[in-house]
Amino acid sequence: MARLAQSVPRNRTVRFAVLGNSVQRAAAPGYPSSRSSAVKRRIIVGGLVLLSLVLITVSFRSSALDGVQGTVAGALRPFEIAADRVSRPFRDAAGWAHGLASAKSDNRKLRTQVQTLQQQLIQDEGAVNENVQLKAQLNYHGPPSLQRFRRVSAAVLANPLTALDESITIAAGSDDGVKNGNVVITPQGLVGTVDKSRGSISRVTLLTDAQSAVTATDLTNPAAVGVVRRGGGGSDVLVFDRVPKAPYVGIGDTVITAGSVSRALPSLFPHGIPIGTVSSTSGNDINIFQTIQVEPFVNFATLQSVIVLVPKR
Amino acid sequence: MSGAKAALVLFVAALFQLAVLTEYHPFRASSIVLVALLSVALLRGSTFGAVAGFGTGLLLDTATLGTLGVTSLLLTVAGFWIGRYGETTARDRFHAPFLSVAVVTVVYSYADLGLRFLLGQSAPAAVVTHALLVALLLNLLLTLPVYALIRRLFPPLELGGRVREVRLLG
Repeated sequence: MARLAQSVPRNRTVRFAVLGNSVQRAAAPGYPSSRSSAVKRRIIVGGLVLLSLVLITVSFRSSALDGVQGTVAGALRPFEIAADRVSRPFRDAAGWAHGLASAKSDNRKLRTQVQTLQQQLIQDEGAVNENVQLKAQLNYHGPPSLQRFRRVSAAVLANPLTALDESITIAAGSDDGVKNGNVVITPQGLVGTVDKSRGSISRVTLLTDAQSAVTATDLTNPAAVGVVRRGGGGSDVLVFDRVPKAPYVGIGDTVITAGSVSRALPSLFPHGIPIGTVSSTSGNDINIFQTIQVEPFVNFATLQSVIVLVPKR
Repeated sequence: MSGAKAALVLFVAALFQLAVLTEYHPFRASSIVLVALLSVALLRGSTFGAVAGFGTGLLLDTATLGTLGVTSLLLTVAGFWIGRYGETTARDRFHAPFLSVAVVTVVYSYADLGLRFLLGQSAPAAVVTHALLVALLLNLLLTLPVYALIRRLFPPLELGGRVREVRLLG
């Protein structure tokens, strides 16, 4: 062994090989490199890729795998809850530290807000009472309101996984009466709709998804009706689109869901769910619609729990 | 034994990703699962990496009620590719895990975008491009501790075999 080390230095060069000290290092045992291993490797990888493509096709085109997926997802839920509980003290500590830094300025701001809101509440209560009396007198039938829905509260199990993903997983499913298309809200406002519902969990497509859209109206000026959807580009900004120029929408106005009274094509969304406030408006002579940006009330990045609106029978 | 250990490591990484990292908006761009998978693939080779990638992808797709097979396909290819890199040129090179994570983060992001586009789902390229730099930075930051931990759990196989493999032909 010692003679071998003397004749074959570790840092041998091409010159040594030419001179006849031909030493070949075989592949390490952990990395099979023979021809049969290469074939085996290709077969395994090819098989896995093929299996993935089959799964995509079946999952995308039919609901054959939904039951299995729901059962396995349900089985994973305790692990997710356990991981959440383990990480919660750290999260709370980070939140506490962050809250402490901004507590003083928040306190001042909130005190001013409370005084303004108290005055507004007195005016609003009078308006609500008047509204109820007038509705009763006129036998008025409007779009479905929140009172026609049962509320199912659910914790958020997983927030969006990637920057592209605009969906969350929640801990309520078909066992709780949740169905595809049900509207999801928080006390702050609209979140999105249920996209997939299984036994004890559901997937919710957020309003910030490019494929989500909701008919909305301006609370101050109900004649301004349009569609709220995600704006273009990489930002999370929502746009209030298809609003004609005539009913003017002002900055700071509140945008709510419009709902619909049509029985043929009823809206999924009840009337009056807050969406956000108008942050900017613009327009030009060519475009017949206003360009309105909406700042959502809901912070889609930090959702902890949501409410699913299940229609009452 | 290695298989069970890898399954446990990747399961914990997936849970951490789902329950902890996604809670914080800046960390949404990062993927500890991808970093852990690439580390395992670098240390255990292409076949191991491909199988681990497939299993992990299936787990993520199931837990998020996503389209089954999408993440599996991407992670299978990523695991296999980096496993081959580990088998051929990356042995004992310090930069190998960092290079692997950087390249795969970029390729994975755009491959995910392409696959979503093909499936008719929303695929805004601007979102991916904006998030890419943050994703790259966070994944590279995660690489150092994750690779060190996984290297401890999966010691490189070639070290034991190297001396035994040298033989004189001339």
